[in-house]
Amino acid sequence: MNAPDVAIPFSHRQSAHCETGVLSNLLRHHGLEVSEPMVFGIGAGLFFGYFPFIRLNRLPLTAFRARTGAIMKRAVKRLGVALTWEKFRDPGKGMAVLDRKLLESVPVGCRTGAYWLSYFPERYRFHFNMHNLVVFGRRDGAYLVSDPVFPEPVLCPEEDLKKARFARGIMAPRGRMYYVTGMPSQPDLRGAVRRGITDVCRTMLKAPGPFLGVKGIRYLATSVERWAVRLEPRQAALRLGQVIRMQEEIGTGGGGFRFIYAAFLQEAAGLLQDDRLLTLSERMTAVGDRWREFALVGSRICKQRAGAAETYAGLADILRRCADAETGLYRDLAARMEATR
Amino acid sequence: MSGEAALKDRLKRLIVEELNLVHVRPEEIGDDDPLFGDRFGLDSIDAVELVFQLKKHFGVVIKNQSDGRTILQSVNTICAFIENRPAA
Repeated sequence: MNAPDVAIPFSHRQSAHCETGVLSNLLRHHGLEVSEPMVFGIGAGLFFGYFPFIRLNRLPLTAFRARTGAIMKRAVKRLGVALTWEKFRDPGKGMAVLDRKLLESVPVGCRTGAYWLSYFPERYRFHFNMHNLVVFGRRDGAYLVSDPVFPEPVLCPEEDLKKARFARGIMAPRGRMYYVTGMPSQPDLRGAVRRGITDVCRTMLKAPGPFLGVKGIRYLATSVERWAVRLEPRQAALRLGQVIRMQEEIGTGGGGFRFIYAAFLQEAAGLLQDDRLLTLSERMTAVGDRWREFALVGSRICKQRAGAAETYAGLADILRRCADAETGLYRDLAARMEATR
Repeated sequence: MSGEAALKDRLKRLIVEELNLVHVRPEEIGDDDPLFGDRFGLDSIDAVELVFQLKKHFGVVIKNQSDGRTILQSVNTICAFIENRPAA
């Protein structure tokens, strides 16, 4: 028998990124006004990693933010929020537990395989098993879904949501769902912000090995220069295209996560009453613009639209300037946290 | 030609010229045709250039991935985005 209809009053807001958007919306539902950039900053989402030995579609992996799931876990821990996670072997049981939570008026975050979500236009569907959304009700055999990449809530048929929650493949979600079970009586937002900033500065400046943080950006710069010399033009363009896709994906217009972090620093300036963070926010925006320049020049090289001055060596130079700017920024940010402790 | 028709015409020429669509003429792009995918062979790498060109020629900024998905679907959606931009 189908579960009864239910609609939990849930305020949907579109966001730039599913993980931070879902957590921001869930926390707001439970009375804690935390924006998406705040979740991103507190969860120390900013990152860089170039992994030539990890292959995605047979090409090296580049990451511009912390690994999926880590931002959420760090943010709830730093805010003192209790988030309960469940996963299931049996899809039927996984859907039944979801229905039960909805009847208890609890909005539920779900990890899903985006390919199976039928409300996505077909051309935007791809096999990504870490897509987050919130289920907040049922109507006529379909679920009411707050999917943060959509401007309005959407309806998802039961069978499609079941397939998405139990999608197979790499990083299969296994029906993972999560919901808030405890909120702090007096959340230490300022402390959470400071811990998030300190964490990012440490990772970006001091992560071990050559592949992570600002050292990783420099490593990528050297690699980009070598691609032009050592690889066939087509192979070099494929590698470059992979970096740009991971940075931009369907026209975000720049190193999007750098801009989200700049918005976080702007909010943090108000919260910590420290105007110097505003200057650092502006510097982070300038870094995002430089990453955007890298993507634009790189896209022209990939698509053979490049002018004479747009070369792999020039791209490496842009990357080194990104690394220099980010190094200075994180040092100043860490020093500011230390000085105002 | 109305203002909207002129804008669509300009957009189509911009897409063909700046994205080097050598086998496509502007008038072959339908107002509702999906721009990305098999039809014109455009992908997310081309979207980077398109976002840049829209800012350069029309002063509009696409801020994030979600907006990009919606706005860059077709000439009609781009046209609506440009026409509905807030006054400076």
